[in-house]
Amino acid sequence: MQNNTNRSYYLVPYFGWMMLFVIAPLVLVIYFSLFDLHGNFSFINYQNFFTSVYLKLTLSSFWYAFLITAFTLAIAYPTAYWLTKTKHKQLWLLLIIIPSWINLLLKTYAFIGIFGVKGPLNKLFESMGIGTQQILYTDFSFIFVSVYIFIPFMILPIFNSLDKMNPTLIDAARDLGSSTWTTFTKVIFPLTINGVKSGIQAVFIPSLSLFMITRLIAGNKVITLGTAIEQQFLVTRNWGMGSTIAVFLIMFMVIIMILTGQKDKGALSNEQIK
Amino acid sequence: MNRSSKLSKVYLALVFIILYTPIFYLIFYSFNSGGTMSSFKSFSLEHYKAVFADTRLIMILINTIIIALLSALISTAIGVIGAIGIVYLKNRKSRNALLSLNNVLIVSPDVIIGASFLILFTMVGVKLGFASVLISHIAFSVPIVVIMVLPKLQEMSSTLIDAALDLGASKREVLSRVIIPYIKPGIFAGFFLALTYSLDDFAVTFFVTGNGFTTLSVEIYSMARAGITLTINALSGLLFIVTLLLVLGYYFVTNRTKNPLRTGVPK
Amino acid sequence: MTDNTIIRFENVTKSYDSATPVLNNVSFEIERGKFYTLLGPSGCGKTTILRLIAGFMEPTSGDIYFNGNKINHVPANERQVNTVFQDYALFPHLNVFENIAFGLRIKKLKKEEITRRVLEALKFVNLEGYENREIVEMSGGQKQRVAIARAIVNDPEVILLDEPLSALDLKLRTEMQYELRELQQRLGKTFIFVTHDQEEALAMSDEIFVMNAGVIQQSGTPMDIYDEPINRFVADFIGESNIVPGVMIADYRVQFGGKDFECADKGLSPNEKVDIVIRPEDLEITTVDRGKMTVKVDTQLFRGVHYELSTFDKDGNEWLVHSTKKAAVGEEIGLDFDPEAIHVMRLNETEEEFDKRLESYGEENHAK
Repeated sequence: MQNNTNRSYYLVPYFGWMMLFVIAPLVLVIYFSLFDLHGNFSFINYQNFFTSVYLKLTLSSFWYAFLITAFTLAIAYPTAYWLTKTKHKQLWLLLIIIPSWINLLLKTYAFIGIFGVKGPLNKLFESMGIGTQQILYTDFSFIFVSVYIFIPFMILPIFNSLDKMNPTLIDAARDLGSSTWTTFTKVIFPLTINGVKSGIQAVFIPSLSLFMITRLIAGNKVITLGTAIEQQFLVTRNWGMGSTIAVFLIMFMVIIMILTGQKDKGALSNEQIK
Repeated sequence: MNRSSKLSKVYLALVFIILYTPIFYLIFYSFNSGGTMSSFKSFSLEHYKAVFADTRLIMILINTIIIALLSALISTAIGVIGAIGIVYLKNRKSRNALLSLNNVLIVSPDVIIGASFLILFTMVGVKLGFASVLISHIAFSVPIVVIMVLPKLQEMSSTLIDAALDLGASKREVLSRVIIPYIKPGIFAGFFLALTYSLDDFAVTFFVTGNGFTTLSVEIYSMARAGITLTINALSGLLFIVTLLLVLGYYFVTNRTKNPLRTGVPK
Repeated sequence: MTDNTIIRFENVTKSYDSATPVLNNVSFEIERGKFYTLLGPSGCGKTTILRLIAGFMEPTSGDIYFNGNKINHVPANERQVNTVFQDYALFPHLNVFENIAFGLRIKKLKKEEITRRVLEALKFVNLEGYENREIVEMSGGQKQRVAIARAIVNDPEVILLDEPLSALDLKLRTEMQYELRELQQRLGKTFIFVTHDQEEALAMSDEIFVMNAGVIQQSGTPMDIYDEPINRFVADFIGESNIVPGVMIADYRVQFGGKDFECADKGLSPNEKVDIVIRPEDLEITTVDRGKMTVKVDTQLFRGVHYELSTFDKDGNEWLVHSTKKAAVGEEIGLDFDPEAIHVMRLNETEEEFDKRLESYGEENHAK
C-alpha cells in the first residue's frame, strides 16, 4: 500500500457522496435560510426566530426532549445493568433490540389503539372505577410513546460500556471497602459515563426533531423543532424559515455533541483489559 | 443478593412486557373480524386477504422492498470503498476529518436530512419520486455501512497484508483474497443495517417523495392519520415476520462466518 | 563479495521523518545457507532490516542487493523471500491448508501440485493431519509451525523470521529453538532471525549481528561475540557481565579496582583508558588471602544451577559472581580468575579495528 495515487480513483464514489450529500445539503440549508418568502436576500428569518413564538417553541421542544431523555435514561440504565448480569446476555440484548427494528410507524400506530378511548388501557381504568380518560393527544402519551421508541437506543450503548468494563475493578472497589452503592457511584457509573453520553446523544437530538409522533399521538398539541421544520417546508412552503429553524437545530445538535463528547477515560481502561 | 436478583428479574420482565405489548397487540387485532382495535369479535384472516387484494398496497410493498434492496446494495459498495479509503489514509488529521464528515448524516435528525435533500433535489432538478427516494436512501445508508465496516478493518492486523504481499499477492489480490474476506462480517452487518434503515425510514422519504410514489412507512402514516384500519395491523403482522426472518438470516450468516476477533495473536 | 553472498546491504539508511534514522549507514553481507540472527533491544533497527529485505519498505539511501541485483524498488510480492511474522499473521478466514496454500494459489500452480507441496510442508513442520483445522483451533506452537510451513512451501531462497518465538512460553520456546535450527539445516536455506533474546541468538545462530541505535555494533559467531565483546553495550547485552573502567598499563598488564593484573591483551597505547569485562561465571570464590581481589558479599540468590552473588570491591565496583559454592552475606571473600577471563575493550573502537587487533593476537599465537 505504498502509493496512494494509483488507488485514489476507487474513492471517487465515496468522496462524490460526501460532497453531494453531506457538504452540499448543509451549504444549501444555510443559503436558503438567508432568503425571505419572495426570494429576496434578508435576515428576516433570523429576526423571526428570535420572536416569542419561536423562542417559546424552542424552549418547549428542549423541555420535552429533556423529559424524554431523562425518563429513557432512568428506565434504560437499570435494564442495561441487569441485562449484563443475565446468563445469556447477548440473546436478551438481541430481544431488546428487535422491537427497534419494527417499523416506527407501526409501533406508534399501536399506541393509537392502546391509548384510544375504547382501548385496553381505558378499559382497565373503567374496571378500576377511575372512568374513561383522554390519554391520546396529551403530554403524557407523547412522552410515553417517545420513551418507548427510544429505550433500545439508550440501552445499547450503556450495555456495551457496562459489558466492556473490567469486572475485577468492581472486586477491587469491594476489596477496598466500598459499599454496593459507593461502588456504583464511584466506579461503575463513572466508567460507563461514555455509554450514557452516547445514549443521551442518541435520544436527545432525535427528540428535538420528532414530528411524526407529535402529529399522530400528541395531535398537534406538542410542537417540536422538527414539527416546525416540517410545517414550514411541506405545509406553508416557506423554505427560508424552515431552513433557518434547521440551521438552529444543527447548531443545537453540534452543542449537544460537544457537551456529550467522549473524553476516552473509560475507553482507556477498556483497552487495558485486552 | 436473592432479593435484589428477584427485583432485577421482575424489572427486566416488566421492560420486556412493555417493549413487546404494542407489537403483539397490533398482531393480535390483525386477526379480528371486527373493524376495531378495542373489541375482539372472532378470528379471521380477512384483513390479510384485504392486504393481498389491494394491488396499490402490494405495489407500495414491492416499491419499498426494491428501494431497500437497491439502496442497501449500492450504499454497501460505496461504504466499503469509503471505509477502506479512510483506514489506509496516512494522515491522521485528514482521517479524523473524513470520519467526522462521514458521521454527519448519522447524527443529523431525519427532518434535517429530509429538508436539505428536498432543497438539493429541487435545485439539481431531480424529479421527486422513485429516483429521489432511492438516492436519499443510498445517501443516508453509506455512513452506516462505513461505521459497520471500519472496526473490522481497524482490528485487522496490518501484518496480514504484509503476509499476503510477502506470499506474492498483488494489491488487487490482497484486496480480494484477504481484506474483503476478512471484513465480510462487517460488510454483511452494514448491508443488513442499511436494509433495515431503508425499510424503517419515514421522515426522509416523507420529505423527498412526490405524488404517485410512496413507501410503506409513508403510506401507513397517511392511513393512520385517517384513523384505525385493521389492514395496517395485518401489514404489521407480515412485517414482523419479515423482520424476524431478516434478523434470523443475519445471525445465521454472521455466525457461520468464523469469528475474526480471534486472530493469530495469543493473548 | 563471494559467490556465496545472497544479500548485500551497502550504506543503507532508513529514516521515517527528519529525526534520527532508525537505520544508520549499515553495510553487511548475508551468505547462502546460514542461520543469521539480528540481535538487539527494541527499536535498534533489527526489524527495519528485515522489512527492508522483505520489501515492506524502501531504504532512504543506500542499496540492497539480492543475488547481485539491486532490489531497492522491487515490491514485496515479487521478492524471493518469505517471512514468518511475530504475530504469525495467519489468515483467520482460511484454514490451515488454505493458509499454507496461499502463496501457491497466487502463483496459480496446478491443484495436485499445491496439495502435494502443502502436505509435504505440513510434514516438514510435524503437523501431518492438521490440514483441515481452523486457525482458531490451533495452539500457539502449532500456529507457529503453520506460519513456518506457509513460508517454506514457496521454496524461497531466504526465510525471514521476525521474533517468531516471543509469544510462546519458555518451554515451548526452547523446543522450537531446536526445531528451527534443525529445520534450517535440513532445508539448507538462509534464515534471518530477529530477536531481542540473547540466549536464543547464541543457541541458534551461525552468525549474530548485535545491533543498537540503528547501527550494527558487532557481527560474528556466537562464540566470538560472547568471548570477545567489542564494547560495553555488546558485553552488557550478551549475557551477564561485570564491566568496570580500567587502564592498560603496558602489554599484558591492566589495572582496575586499584590493582594490577596480568591479561591476554596487547597492542594498546600505554595508560590508555579501557573497559574491563569479566563474566560472572569466570570468577571463582576463594579465601581472601588466595584471591586476586577482595570483595564483600552484599546479597546471594540461589538460582538452581548456581548461586548468584552480588559483591562489591573497595572502590565500590559491583562484581556479580556465579558460583556453585556458597558464601555468607556480609562476609569478605577472595575472587580468583584466569588472565584470559579479562576482556579488554577499547573505548570507541570500530568493528574493523577490533577485528584487526584480535587477528594480530592470533598471528602471534601461531608464530609461537
